[in-house]
Amino acid sequence: MKKNITLLSLLCALCACNSSDEKESKDMTPPVISDTGITANPIECQEYRPGDVIHFQYVFTDDVELGNYNIEIHNNFDHHTHSGSAVDCELEAKKEAGEKAWVYNQDFAIPAGQRTYTAHVDIQIPDDAETGNYHFMVRLTDRTGWQQLKGIAIKLK
Amino acid sequence: MITMLLAAALCSAAPKDTTVRLDAVTVTGLQRRDYLMRTSQSAVQVSSEFLNQNFAGSLMQTLESLPGVKAMAIGSGQSKPVIRGMGFNRLVVSEDGIKHEGQQWGDDHGLEIDQFAVDRAEVIKGPAALLYGSDAIGGVLNLYTNHVPAEPLKGSVQVFGRTNNEQIGLSAKVGGRSGGFFYRANVTLIDYADFRVPTDSIQYYSYWIKLKDRRLRNTAGLEHDGSVMLGYQGYNFHTDVRISDSYLKSGFFANAHGLEVRLSDIDYDRSRRDVDLPYQWVNHLKVLSHTTWRNDVLSAELNLAYQNNVREELSEPVSHGYMPKPDGTLERRFNKNTYTAAFLLRYELGRHSLQGGVNGELQHNRRDGWGFIIPDFETGSVGGFVLDRFTLRENLILNAGLRFDYAHTHIHSYQDWFATPVGGTAVYQQRSADLRRNFTSFTWSAGINYSLGQWVMKANVGKAFRVPIPKELGTDGINYHIFRYERGNAQLDPEESYQLDISVNWANGTWEIGVEPYLNYFPNYIFLTPTAQYVEGLQLYNYTQARVLRFGMEAQVTCRLSDRWHLHAQGEYLYARQKSGEKKGYALPFSMPWSADAGVKYYFDKRAEGFIGFNARIVGRQDEIVPPEKPTDGYWTLNLSGAKKFQLNGSITLNVALHADNLLNRRYYNHTSYYRLIDVPEPGRNIALKVGMEF
Repeated sequence: MKKNITLLSLLCALCACNSSDEKESKDMTPPVISDTGITANPIECQEYRPGDVIHFQYVFTDDVELGNYNIEIHNNFDHHTHSGSAVDCELEAKKEAGEKAWVYNQDFAIPAGQRTYTAHVDIQIPDDAETGNYHFMVRLTDRTGWQQLKGIAIKLK
Repeated sequence: MITMLLAAALCSAAPKDTTVRLDAVTVTGLQRRDYLMRTSQSAVQVSSEFLNQNFAGSLMQTLESLPGVKAMAIGSGQSKPVIRGMGFNRLVVSEDGIKHEGQQWGDDHGLEIDQFAVDRAEVIKGPAALLYGSDAIGGVLNLYTNHVPAEPLKGSVQVFGRTNNEQIGLSAKVGGRSGGFFYRANVTLIDYADFRVPTDSIQYYSYWIKLKDRRLRNTAGLEHDGSVMLGYQGYNFHTDVRISDSYLKSGFFANAHGLEVRLSDIDYDRSRRDVDLPYQWVNHLKVLSHTTWRNDVLSAELNLAYQNNVREELSEPVSHGYMPKPDGTLERRFNKNTYTAAFLLRYELGRHSLQGGVNGELQHNRRDGWGFIIPDFETGSVGGFVLDRFTLRENLILNAGLRFDYAHTHIHSYQDWFATPVGGTAVYQQRSADLRRNFTSFTWSAGINYSLGQWVMKANVGKAFRVPIPKELGTDGINYHIFRYERGNAQLDPEESYQLDISVNWANGTWEIGVEPYLNYFPNYIFLTPTAQYVEGLQLYNYTQARVLRFGMEAQVTCRLSDRWHLHAQGEYLYARQKSGEKKGYALPFSMPWSADAGVKYYFDKRAEGFIGFNARIVGRQDEIVPPEKPTDGYWTLNLSGAKKFQLNGSITLNVALHADNLLNRRYYNHTSYYRLIDVPEPGRNIALKVGMEF
């Protein structure tokens, strides 16, 4: 029995050592996508016309260091998702995507060392883009690899 | 419960060709000691009696009651084994001594073995590279289906079910012996509905998903297994051939599979028993041959095996990004053939028991479908070992062994079937480059067993390794299951692990106490880590290697208050830290939190042929997380189990086993579950019942 106790205390000692040398700050929080202090764009249910420019604007913050972000736009003609927000936007009738269904997918870098960053991107909607319901996805990482997502339903009329 | 385990152990330690029924309650200290002295590793043997009486719905759920063993839920009520926090390719599952080769790297790939054909099992905790070669880092789960019938005709029929996913099943076995010849056959049929969780909706990927009747849509499935075995057993010669086939089909949770959270046209809520797209099916065909020859001092064993594992994953075709809408529903197909050969020699030389062996394995894997995750590959490996077990005194045994392995991996190149615009030109992007790698590994192990009075002490130190799998070396694409871009690393070295295991046991007539601490160090643990980068719109995860330190322990205590009342408590703890690399200071993904069990059992009679027991399981909160995990709250559950054996007329016996999990229908998350990442709670109250008849 004595041996068990010795072993147990050895293990506990080992735990104690380990936790003490790792009080170094570990990044445990994902970055945040918000509209703090700015007019965010696009917002839920926003409508555009083919040929318009989407003036994307959101504020990114992280407690340690921001990483990169990505903007991806794809059609929701088949109503494949529920909206995550409180408002449910009005959907047009379901349809099959045609040749000119708009696809946009672009990765963006954030300058190193930033904790706050206001992203502005002007996204040109092609003149011949097929109209209908689209999803506007924003993905943001921090340096450690935590990720934050924001899905926005938009419409081309 | 530990009594049952020991009984199990002793039962399976008995010679293969005799049917031994041990009385679980009257295991003497001496027998227990003999078993503990058999190996310097921490090992637990599990008899068919134990498997029968503790039926918890599936084999892995039954084995989960052993300290250090966990069942990782993968959806559809299926699970895969985890030993001391190590799963996937860091443990070996073997059937009759042959390593089971499916697609064990997959998050949602289960055991693919007919669990009702299993006669007995053995769990080895800790490195076992010496006998098993690559992958035996966390341990080995040995399943045995090769019990030789002793009577001309013997059989059993079992019907079983569980309430949570309305599973119903039937398994029948028959076997017999005539002279030296014997045969066995079995068949198992299982069918289950969508599984139920104690919640009305779940939140996934920033979307709310409402559940109908608290069921995970489209997680129903079925399983059909069968096997035939023929053999001859003489005085010093034994040979047998076993052919088995296991077919499984199960749906994927329809709202959280594929590229996006989908609202399909399929009416999933029409029926809870049907399987719609997306779903998977797997067929595992196995041909095993065992031949042994032995005399008083020498024994030779030859094992040959062929395994074919075909898996298909089907889902509704959709366009995504630059990928146009594909033709057909075949998202992924793998066809893997594995050929295994092993030759073993044992020689008794005075107080030395010498063992040596060579084994080789060839694998051939071909992929198909519009989703790419692993390339085509061929691998070959060959290894040899020597081992000496030296009985210095009756109560002091030493062992030491060496092993050398060589492995070759050839990965084929793969290009997208669709073009992606890169700088104005359309490019069929290469997802995997042609790659040839050779790996060598030198492993060793040494141990000591010592007993003194009521004490048995064991220590083992060993090195184990794992050859990087083709996915780790060569993947380069979107993982369609979990919305991320995964990139392999062609430069990975074989993963190595050093481990010290200690086991201390003490028992008298009333008390039994066991403590099993371990210390484990990896100079180059391979894992997938998220980066800050994006590739094609998805977060990039890279395979990297880092130094990792782990330690932990299992402890258990049993008190036999009387022949009828037994109290039992057990607990386990594991600590893991990355000691280098980008995620230095973090734990490992899917780190299990501490857990403890306390239970009481009442035996109806002295022969332990019936009992009823209550058990409380307490699991700690897990804050040791790595991106993208979330902390998981602790929880506790109250569970009930019971079993009874009835002797009907003549030689017919009836066995009834009942197991009720989560009696209070509590809602909780399991940090090590595949579904944790998508916020699906564990199943609610679940009652499993099995009725078996043996003749």
